[in-house]
Formats: sequence, C-alpha cells, structure tokens
Amino acid sequence: MAWAKQGHEAAFRELVRRYERPVFSLLYRMVRDRSLAEDLAQETFIKVLNAIASYNPQFKFSSWIFKIANNAAIDHLRRRELDTLSLDGSPHATTPDEMSATALQLGDRGETPLQELEARELGGAIEHAIARLRPEYRACILLRHVEGHSYEEIARMLELPLGTVKTYIHRARNELRGYLEDRKA
Amino acid sequence: MTHPPEPRHLTPDEIELWAQGLLPAVRDVHVGECAECRVTAERERKLLRELAQLTRFAPEFGFVERVMAKVKIPAPSGPYLRPDPDA
Repeated sequence: MAWAKQGHEAAFRELVRRYERPVFSLLYRMVRDRSLAEDLAQETFIKVLNAIASYNPQFKFSSWIFKIANNAAIDHLRRRELDTLSLDGSPHATTPDEMSATALQLGDRGETPLQELEARELGGAIEHAIARLRPEYRACILLRHVEGHSYEEIARMLELPLGTVKTYIHRARNELRGYLEDRKA
Repeated sequence: MTHPPEPRHLTPDEIELWAQGLLPAVRDVHVGECAECRVTAERERKLLRELAQLTRFAPEFGFVERVMAKVKIPAPSGPYLRPDPDA
C-alpha cells in the first residue's frame, strides 16, 4: 500500500491484480451483466488509484474499494430502474425514436455467446436466489458471507447504521433459505 | 425455590455463530436439546457454506492493462505523499 501511495506503477498493478476478482464478482452479481460489470470494475479501480494519495490507512483498503464498487453498482441500478421499467421506453425519451430505442423488448431472447456465458455462470439455484434479493440486501450478504467483512465494516462501507446492516443480512438469509427451499419443493 | 431460566431460542446472531462453530458452549447445549433451533441452525450452516463456496469470477483477459491505460501514474518522488493534482 505504501508503495502504491508513492505512485509506483508496479504497486498499482499489484493492487488491481489482487482485487480484480473480488471486485468484479461483487459487481457482476449486483448487475448480472458481464460487460457492464467490467465497465463498473474499471471505473472503480480508476477512481481508487487516481485518489490513492487520499487513502486513509486506518481503514482496510478492501473496505474502501468495495465501498466505491458498491456505490457504482447501486448508482447504475437506480439509473436503470428509472430508464427501463416502462414498456413504452425511458421516461427521459423525447422523440418516438428514443422511446422505441429504450422500450423493453419482450420476446427478444436470442442469446449471444456472452449471454450464454452469463447464463452458465449465474444459472445455479443460489445465484438465482441472490439475484432475487433487493440490491441493498444483495450487497450486504455478498460483503458479509462471500467477502467475509464484519458487520461493522459493512456498516462503514455502506454508510448505514449497524442495526440496519444486521437486519438486512438476517432478512437476506431468510429470503435466500426460502427461495432455495421453494425450488426444492 | 428458584426455577432454571426458560430455554431461549437462538437469535439470528447466535445461529450465525453456531454455523461458524463459534457459539459459546452454554448456548451450544441448547442447540443439542432444541429440535427447532437445530433445524434452523443446520439450514443456516448449509446456506453459509453455499455462499462461501461461490465462484470468484474473473473479468476478461487484459483487465489490468485496460485499467492501467486509464490511470494517472505520478512519478515516484520519495516517501512523502503528493497531493492529487485533480483533487
């Protein structure tokens, strides 16, 4: 970390190598789109490395990078919710062409190779169950039980009260168990 | 005459501790005696195992290079921090 803070390129590379999989995995499970997750992961690393001089070593580096990654995912999901929920197109569309371009395409399910890969990677029961969680729950459960952060670290990362984080995680686990048992039934 | 305290079911925090093998022995006894808590705790342990075993996905090959091409790399100038010129 100290080498990275001094601007050593090799240290920057090492940080990206060390965190590319966990950061990409979190983002991929949040947005369920490989190329978008990669764009958001790039955005995350660029933000982190360009601001490395301001990193406060009192906090874990992983907490800082996951905080930025999660914010990127949540921002994207909020924008997507605004833009794509209408069957008639984005509420921001001002012309018929824009409305048509942003409308939900029903029945257009031909899969590209990338979509096939996504279906394979995210097609298991547990992945489906995670995808059905609210984004806030999903972020908390992934940070806690996949990345192994403590409740306190997650509360700091997501800027939420500790009690809220605990509630989200407990509810998420209940929902996951429910989804998984429904599939078996 | 005093009665022993009512056996209290495990809280969600305690269930997580049990699933991780970290529940204090005094509460562990309760899991052994309470079928309801045992079933809940076993289900929780199975879920936590599944979560812990999730795949770590990798981005496309060349990700590090793509990031490095867009990062401003200041020339190392010694042990002191330099302010970010864009900050």
